[in-house]
Amino acid sequence: MGRLVHALLLGLVGAGIVHIAVLLLVPAYSERDAWSALSQQANFYRLVRLDPPDAPPLIGSLDPLSDAVACRFDLTDGVMQLHGEGSAPYWSVSVYDRTGLNIFSLNDRSSPRGRLDFVVATPTQMISLRNALPPELDESVFVEADIGEGIAVVRTFAPDESFEPSVSAWLRGIGCTLH
Amino acid sequence: MLKSILLTALTLAIALVGGAGSVWLALDRDFGFGTVTIGNWTAFPDHGTPAADPYSRARFSREADLALGRAEGLVFTARRDSDGRPLLLECRYRIHGSLPPARFWTLYARDADHRVITVEGGRAPALHSLALLRGADNTVATTVSRHAAPGNWLAVAGSGPFSLVLTLYDTAITSSARIAEVELPGITREGCDG
Repeated sequence: MGRLVHALLLGLVGAGIVHIAVLLLVPAYSERDAWSALSQQANFYRLVRLDPPDAPPLIGSLDPLSDAVACRFDLTDGVMQLHGEGSAPYWSVSVYDRTGLNIFSLNDRSSPRGRLDFVVATPTQMISLRNALPPELDESVFVEADIGEGIAVVRTFAPDESFEPSVSAWLRGIGCTLH
Repeated sequence: MLKSILLTALTLAIALVGGAGSVWLALDRDFGFGTVTIGNWTAFPDHGTPAADPYSRARFSREADLALGRAEGLVFTARRDSDGRPLLLECRYRIHGSLPPARFWTLYARDADHRVITVEGGRAPALHSLALLRGADNTVATTVSRHAAPGNWLAVAGSGPFSLVLTLYDTAITSSARIAEVELPGITREGCDG
C-alpha cells in the first residue's frame, strides 16, 4: 500500500515536470508559423496580401472586414522603409520578429497627416541614421526594433464591399523597400 | 519483482499521460495568466507579444498567427452565453449592452474550427460599429441567428458550437491598467431551432 502511494506521488511529481517541459518545448517544435506561410508566397521586401480574394486568409485570426498586406525584411541588410501614397480610412502597422511576436505597433493617428511612411531600424542603425539622415527619409517615423529578420503587416478596414477597390489599390501602392 | 515493474510503469504512465494531457487541456481551454474576462468575453492583451506567459506562447505557436498590437486593437472572444451554455448555431442570441470607447469595432462569428462563418447571398460576414442601429442611450442590440431578424442582424449558417469575436480597434483600454472594469454586452439565448 505504501509503495503504491509512493508510486502515485512520484507519478504526480513526474507529471508536473513533463507538463513544464512540454509547455516550453511546444513553441520550439511548432512547424506552422506565419513566417513560413509568408515565405511560400513571396521573397523578402515583396508585399503579400494576407487575405487573397479567392483563397483562405494566410493568417487565420484576420478580421473578415480588414484587408492586410505583409512583407518580410531583414535588418542585417539595412533599414526597411514602408511607404504609402495617399491614405485609407484606417490603417495600422505592426512589426513582428521572426517567430511572429508583436514587437511594435502604431496606427494612422500616430503619423503626421495620416500618411504611411516609416522606417524600421536596429538601435545601431538608428545612431548612424541620426548622424546623417538621408533626404528621402526626412519625413518618416522611425521605429527602433532590436531584431534581425522580421515581418511588417499593414492592416486596413473596408467597412463594406464598395470600399474594397480603393482600399486594395492603396495597399497595392505600398512600398516595402530596403535602404 | 512483477510488482516493482507494475509500479514503475504506473509512475511513468501517470507522469507522461498526466503531464502531456494537462498541457493539452490547458491549451485547449484558453487557460492563461494574462487572460482578461469580462462577462462572457475573454481577451489576451499580451497574446503574441514577448510579454506573454508560457501558456499563451505555446497556444500562439500552434496558430501561425500575427496578433494585433496594442496600438491596433484588442480581440474579445465569447464561447458561452450568459447562462454558461455553449453558443450553438441552432440558437438565436441577443447581444445587448454598451461598448467601451474605440475608433470602431467589428463583431463576427467563427465555427468550431475557428473559420469565419460566411453566409451565402453576399451578406457581410461581420457587423461593424460604423453602420449600426443604436438605442437612444447609445447601447447596441443585435441578433445572432441563422434566420433573418429585424434591427441589427449578424447572419450565421451551419450547425454546432461557434464563438463570437468582438474586436475593438484603436481603443484606449489596451493601454490602461483598468481593463477589467470595462463593460461589454451580454449574450442571451432567446430560443433554439428544433
